Amino acid sequence: MERFMLIVREDLKRIGRLKTEDRFAEGPDMTDWIKSLIESGNYIGGEPLAIKGRYVTQNEVLSDGPFIEAKEGISGYDIILAENLEQATAIAQSCPMVMQGFAIREVRPIQPFIFKDPV
Amino acid sequence: MDKIQQEADHLYKQHFGKLVASLLYASHDIDPETAEDIVQDAFSAALIDWRLQGIPANSAGWLYKVCRNKALNKIKRDKRLEPLTEKQYQATIETRFSESSFDDQQLKLLFACAHPDLTPKTQVVITLKYVVNLRVESIAKNLGMTIDGVDKLLLRARQKIRNEKILLEEPHPNALKQRLSIVHKIIYLTFNEGYKSTAGKEILREDLCEEALLLNKALLDSSLSNKETCALHALMLFNSARFKSRISDSGELLDLENQDRSKWNQDLIRLAHDFFTRSQCEAVSTYHIEAAIACLHCIAPSFEQTDWRTIEGLYIRLLQIYPNPFVELNYAIAKYYAGDKQGAFKILNDLQGHTFLNQYYLLNMAIGKLHQMEGNDNLARQYLLKAQQQTILQKEKDFIGKILDKMKDRS
Repeated sequence: MERFMLIVREDLKRIGRLKTEDRFAEGPDMTDWIKSLIESGNYIGGEPLAIKGRYVTQNEVLSDGPFIEAKEGISGYDIILAENLEQATAIAQSCPMVMQGFAIREVRPIQPFIFKDPV
Repeated sequence: MDKIQQEADHLYKQHFGKLVASLLYASHDIDPETAEDIVQDAFSAALIDWRLQGIPANSAGWLYKVCRNKALNKIKRDKRLEPLTEKQYQATIETRFSESSFDDQQLKLLFACAHPDLTPKTQVVITLKYVVNLRVESIAKNLGMTIDGVDKLLLRARQKIRNEKILLEEPHPNALKQRLSIVHKIIYLTFNEGYKSTAGKEILREDLCEEALLLNKALLDSSLSNKETCALHALMLFNSARFKSRISDSGELLDLENQDRSKWNQDLIRLAHDFFTRSQCEAVSTYHIEAAIACLHCIAPSFEQTDWRTIEGLYIRLLQIYPNPFVELNYAIAKYYAGDKQGAFKILNDLQGHTFLNQYYLLNMAIGKLHQMEGNDNLARQYLLKAQQQTILQKEKDFIGKILDKMKDRS
C-alpha cells in the first residue's frame, strides 16, 4: 500500500464569505465515507483548512495571498493508503463532496523522500 | 413458493456468477452486462419451460446449455461475417478453462474481483454480485446502501470490468500475493458488514457472515492460502461464536458486558482456537492481533475477569501496524478496564480533537459510559445525549437511552 494525499479544492472566495458553521453544514455528510475508509484500512487522517492564512515568498509576506481569490483553492486534505494511483483515484471519486459537486479532489501520491548518501 | 421457483432460486444462488463468468471466458465479444442479461433470460426461460415440461434431471446443465445457445445466437447476430460453429465455441470454452491455475471457479472469480484498481467497497459489492450471487436488492440491504446506490456503483464498475476485462483475465502469478491480501480484506469486510449494525439495516446479517466464512474456507482448502488466511478464519469464528448473544430476547442490542456468556458457542470457540494455533508465524498481521483479542474475550469467564492488560498490549501492537482513530478508541477503553483510568481519559480527550471522531457517536458514547462508571453523572449525561443525537440507528438510540434511564434510577 502507498500513501496518497487527496486534496480538497473549492471556491475559497465563496466559502470565505460563509460563517464557519455554515461552511461545514452546507456540504454532504462525510461520516460514512470516512468510517468505511477506516474500516477498510485505507484512512490515515485529514482535516479541513481555514480560509485565512499567510502567503510567504522570498521578499514578502502577503496576508491573503493569491489563494484567497482562487476558484479551486485548497480547502482541506485527507491522507489515505491505497494499492495504487488507480485505487486512490477511485476512492477520491467516491467522496460525497465530489459526487455531489461541492468540491474537486486532487490525488497526489506521497513521494518518499530519498536521502543522498553523504560522500 | 412453488417447487420450480425454489429450484430456480437455489440454482441462481449456486450458479449465477459462474454462468456469467463462463460466458465471459467463453467469448471476448460478450461484455458483463450482456452476459448478465443472457443468464437472467435463461432463468426466465427455465421458469416457463420447467412449468410445462417439469424440472430436467440436470437442471444446472440445462441452464448452461441455454446460456451457451443464447450467447451463440448473440455472437452470430453481432458478427455475421464470422459465424462461430458450435465446435469452435466449445473449443474456446475448453481452452480458456483449462488455461487456469485455479481448480475452483469461485476462487478464480474472487481473485478477479480483488482487482487493486477498484475501491474496497466496489470489490466487496462485485464479490457479492458475481461470487456470492446476491441480487442487487439483497446487496443493498446487507451493506446498508440504497438500491440506486448499488446500481450506480455497479454501473461504474462494469465500465472498468469491460474495459480492462477484469473478470476475464486471471491475475498474473506474480500478482497473486497482492491479490491474496485484497481477497482477505474483501472477506473481512463482508464478514464485518454482516456482523455490525449500520444505517439502513437493523438486524445482524448472519447470512453474510456465513458467506464470508464459506469463501475463506474455500481459500483455506486451496493452495493459495497462507497463515493470514488461518488468522482471519480464527477471527471470524471467534466473533461468530458470540453471534447469538448480541441481541437480547426482546431484540435489544447487548454490549459485551451484558451478554449471556452461556450462549456463546463453545464448539465454534474450539474450532477458532485450532485455526488460531495453525495461524502462528513470525509475520504477525492485523488479523492475528484481532483474532488474539477476540480469543481473550471468548475465554474470559466474565467481563471483569477479562485479561484487559494483555488486550491493551495487543491494541498497542495493532496501532503500530495500522494507526487509526477507531483502534485508538478501543485501546483507550481497554486501558480503562486494565486499570489505567487516567491514561484512558487522556486518550479519549485527545480523540475529541479529531475532526471525524468527534462527530461520531461511538466516541461520545464511550466517554459518557466511562464517566458514568466513575460516578460523574452530569458529565456522563452530556456525552450520552450527544451520542444519542449523533446516531441515526434506532437500536443504538435505545441502547443509549437505557444507560441514561439507569442513571435516572440511581439519582
